[in-house]
Amino acid sequence: MDGSLKFTAENKVLIQGITNSLGATYAPLMQAYGTQVVAGVEAGHRGERVGDIPVFDLVEHALEAVTDIDTTVIFSPPYEVLDAALEAIAAGIRQIILISSGVPPLDMVRLLRKAEQAETLIVGSDSPGIIIPGEVLLGTHPAEFYTPGNIGIISRSGTLTYEVALQLTQAGLGQSIAVSIGSDRVVGSSFQQWLQMLEEDEQTEAIVLIGSIGGDGEEVAARYVQEAIDKPVVAYLAGRTVPRDQPMGHAGAVIAPRLSGWEEAIGTPESKIAAFKAANIPLANRPSEIPGLLQNHLAQTLAEIAS
Amino acid sequence: MNLLEYQAKDLFRQVGIPVLPSQRIDRPQDIKHLTVPYPIVLKSQVYAGGRAKAGGIRFVENTIDAVAAAQTLFNLQIHRQLPAALLAEAKYTSAQELYLAVVLDQTQGRPVLLGSAKGGVNVELNSQHMKQVVVDQDFSAFYARRLGVLMGVQGDLIRQVSHVVERMYRLFMQCDLDWVEINPLAVGKDGAVMALDGKVAINDDALGRHAELAKLRFFGTAERVPNLAADRLAPVPQSVSPSPLPTAETITPEGMRLVELGGSIGILCNGAGLVMATLDMVMQAEGTPAFALNVGSDGLLMSLPLEKRIALGLDAIQHRSDIKVVLLNLLYGEVERHGVGAAIAPFLQRRDGLRCPIILRWSGMAKDAVEFPTDSNLHVFEDLDEAIAKAVALAYPAVVRNAR
Repeated sequence: MDGSLKFTAENKVLIQGITNSLGATYAPLMQAYGTQVVAGVEAGHRGERVGDIPVFDLVEHALEAVTDIDTTVIFSPPYEVLDAALEAIAAGIRQIILISSGVPPLDMVRLLRKAEQAETLIVGSDSPGIIIPGEVLLGTHPAEFYTPGNIGIISRSGTLTYEVALQLTQAGLGQSIAVSIGSDRVVGSSFQQWLQMLEEDEQTEAIVLIGSIGGDGEEVAARYVQEAIDKPVVAYLAGRTVPRDQPMGHAGAVIAPRLSGWEEAIGTPESKIAAFKAANIPLANRPSEIPGLLQNHLAQTLAEIAS
Repeated sequence: MNLLEYQAKDLFRQVGIPVLPSQRIDRPQDIKHLTVPYPIVLKSQVYAGGRAKAGGIRFVENTIDAVAAAQTLFNLQIHRQLPAALLAEAKYTSAQELYLAVVLDQTQGRPVLLGSAKGGVNVELNSQHMKQVVVDQDFSAFYARRLGVLMGVQGDLIRQVSHVVERMYRLFMQCDLDWVEINPLAVGKDGAVMALDGKVAINDDALGRHAELAKLRFFGTAERVPNLAADRLAPVPQSVSPSPLPTAETITPEGMRLVELGGSIGILCNGAGLVMATLDMVMQAEGTPAFALNVGSDGLLMSLPLEKRIALGLDAIQHRSDIKVVLLNLLYGEVERHGVGAAIAPFLQRRDGLRCPIILRWSGMAKDAVEFPTDSNLHVFEDLDEAIAKAVALAYPAVVRNAR
């Protein structure tokens, strides 16, 4: 898979789980935003329509009726997500966005092994998906928080992503794209993959990375920024004051496995803050500091280019 | 969801991992009906680690000593937990002790086999002795043999260790585990291996499809924590897992997490990331959170509209007379805007125990303003920083005065 961004208004999009409450709510909203939602899938609902979107029993039937479907957004219940994604891969769809939360991690392990073999990009699970403001909505982002521009947002969260978008929009900083890689324990695409895609994306001038405690994705991302990213990156980290071992709702935001003898916890805020510092990535203390940090960073970069 | 040792060993037995003859003891007098021959080991069944060092394991030679030891163990708190039960197990003399585990690497998205030839109570996971093998493709026995060889075991022990690892991996996949650990895996004088202690954690999100395992949730004294807010906890439904160690956390029947934090400001947000960010900001402003409640669309709540989730969240906190301010931080799109006012209005009208000020932070991005009820105790903000400042000022008027 090359690093370029393949999400545009040209994508022909399938919705799996289109008749459940989330799917039925967001499929027409995505369409109204400009996304080409061409078909939906829900076994037993062949011939029905959600808005004017035709519904099919199987992914392969949707592909027979509507050629060139390249992206699917999955709203299926969590224990059915693996199966829905495998059906999409078998039908040849190579971009899959998982909105559903609570997908068991070992289902994601099975899916990721398959997706890597099939060179398929998985976003999520537990993700509001992707929005390219003014162009395309692939998921559940509230579009009114966003405005077109040049800041790329990469996040693990849902509503916290909207919070940051809102702060940027209010500060006059539009966004080139916002993607949530998902809050579940094991997710498909990583911070690193999206950093690479946004580094190559012409619309994106600077990147906001929104991390949280748990895992070591932020540490890996910080090292990658230092090695390979030339565009300005600023970061924000949620959960600095969360007590250790206390889940706060994200499956992915729990510090440390509790095995005997594990001396250093994985996923602590200290480790992540140190990694951002080591990579010279400015860290916002609160969402409202992000626009200012970005403006400083952008001004600095422009000055360096000028000198 | 963590399992107790005796529950983990039941699973080991089912998949063919060698364990000693043992018996669960629910009361000291059960010792008299012991079927395991003396000498035995009595082991406190608690979720906390460091049990041996805390005195939770006793060797006994006869019934009289065993009854006395059992009485002691039943009253011995280990990291503030009383045992759920005791496990009486045959005594075993090991010539060598190994460490084995299967865990999930969340960054790589792959299971990892861990092993050390230096197992036992002083094992260090981050030591040079700890070897790991990433199961990057479909599992086959060679991954287990590779671990054994890396650990430095030789001869017939390679086959025996890989045999145990294969079965641990099968258990890991079949039961949707977060991890399974055997420490120590004893090697006897005859060269046979035996799992002397084990830890198993079942993934919370997967419990809904393992009805038999979900029943293993222990409802006894072991998860009662003195001096914490645990006494206020509502019953936890079996379909929803508890946190592995006792914490002051309630999971409502609808699947919302209410985390007790002991301070003055109640925090309710839609979304875990927003909860964490709000908590951080309250702490940075020198406020103390009373609880954090997530009414985001996680897990069981996925199919409910925001309006319903907010109403359920407000129901869950309405009896709270112990807090000074409630901070509602809600971000939602136009599609959900109609319901929010409708969810909050009845709450304000009917407030029983909760008479403190309410700070409502919501996004003004929706095209038409939501009609919020008029109430002198309701403060509405669009700006998050202002909302946090107001919440802290109302909770601690003196602190803010001093700060100025």
